[in-house]
Amino acid sequence: MKKLITLTVNDSAYEVAVAPNRTLTQLLRDDLNLLGTKEGCGVGDCGACTVIMDGKPVNSCLVLAVQADGSDITTIEGVATSAGLHPVQQTFVGMGAIQCGFCTPGMVLSATRLLEKNPHPTEHEVRQALSGNLCRCTGYQKIVEAVQEASRRMKK
Amino acid sequence: MLLLPKFDYEEPKSMREALAMLSELKENAKVIAGGTDLLVNMKKGTVKPTRLVSLKKIGGLREIAREDAGLSIGSHATISEIADSALVASLFPVLARSASCLGSPLIRNRATIGGNIVTARPAADLPPALMVLGAEVQLKGKGKGRTVSLDSFFTGPGSSVMKAGEVLTKISIPPVPSFTGGDYIKLGHRAALEIAIVAVASRLTLDRPDGVIVDARIVLSSVAPTAVHAPLAEKALTGQRPSEELFARAASIAATECSPITDMRGGANYRCDMVGILTRRTLLKAFHDALGMKEGGA
Repeated sequence: MKKLITLTVNDSAYEVAVAPNRTLTQLLRDDLNLLGTKEGCGVGDCGACTVIMDGKPVNSCLVLAVQADGSDITTIEGVATSAGLHPVQQTFVGMGAIQCGFCTPGMVLSATRLLEKNPHPTEHEVRQALSGNLCRCTGYQKIVEAVQEASRRMKK
Repeated sequence: MLLLPKFDYEEPKSMREALAMLSELKENAKVIAGGTDLLVNMKKGTVKPTRLVSLKKIGGLREIAREDAGLSIGSHATISEIADSALVASLFPVLARSASCLGSPLIRNRATIGGNIVTARPAADLPPALMVLGAEVQLKGKGKGRTVSLDSFFTGPGSSVMKAGEVLTKISIPPVPSFTGGDYIKLGHRAALEIAIVAVASRLTLDRPDGVIVDARIVLSSVAPTAVHAPLAEKALTGQRPSEELFARAASIAATECSPITDMRGGANYRCDMVGILTRRTLLKAFHDALGMKEGGA
């Protein structure tokens, strides 16, 4: 039987009827048409489905939509503002940290959350914060550099 | 895309209601906490509950609080709440260290301490640290609740003394004696999202800084059907004056006290060798921490 849930996604309130076996990834993609959240492995290994749930990055493929009842979600669609791309998005684009782009939404969300908590992370801290997000293209180096550069730009 | 089979989902408002729901369906009902293990197994079809019961509306299950000079941790505290807790870091750094080794930051934000225990995986990260700390778990069922030492909780890969319809509500850790130190080392192919090839947790207590070892605990993980103590190595340390030679001797004894299998993560002989290496390293760190500490903290 479907359950009625309410949640906030990117500052908009939603009321949705969902079946218990739907994941948060499916709710976002299929019901809310927010296609920025990707599903890679579906078992919590790759991080492509990362969203921020109540302030913390999580694998949305391992959260039931019904478990997200009452929560506050930020997806990649909620990162840029009317003023433009987030500094992390700008440095990803500008510094070659994106190749195929499939991991990028998850990477950017994990990175923005890191910089909120720790505005001046060391390289090790950046790598740790991104350790749940796999990238099969870049070899990570440019991603790490982009996050560090974003941290420097946000300082100014 | 891996899809989940159909099931019912309930959020009972009291423990009594939850226990009634669970006992009604026995094995067909499962508690869902973080879901990072359960949902993976359901997607792969290895478990097929018809009803999931979430305890998120029941208060008090996420608390990390002082209890009789030790610590009580609600079963629904997440792994990152434990890894980041100042209280846990000051009282039981070995537990904080094991929590920070689990999965990835994304997994740690959902996975719970209770889940890491009840799934009873032989390579789980928290049980070895909790076992050297002498932790007990509280189980609630329809009848009377019971308290079980973690040392006697696991019965095999994926199995424990828990009965269908029982819920793990709380983990209690007794206070740590003075001059005690501990360590947890996990060996994996990579630093994150890894299941241990071998992991070892150790704890040493000295009678005084330049004294003898009065209590030694070594727990080996991922090298037997459950996390196991190395009782002969523990005995070889007890009553002795700490030295590198003593730790090396205990480590080689510990390497004989496991029964690993050969699988994709590592060969049995390699795992035994690594038990020796990790045991020696954890003992050295435990000893140095014991020297540096006056009271509280392991």
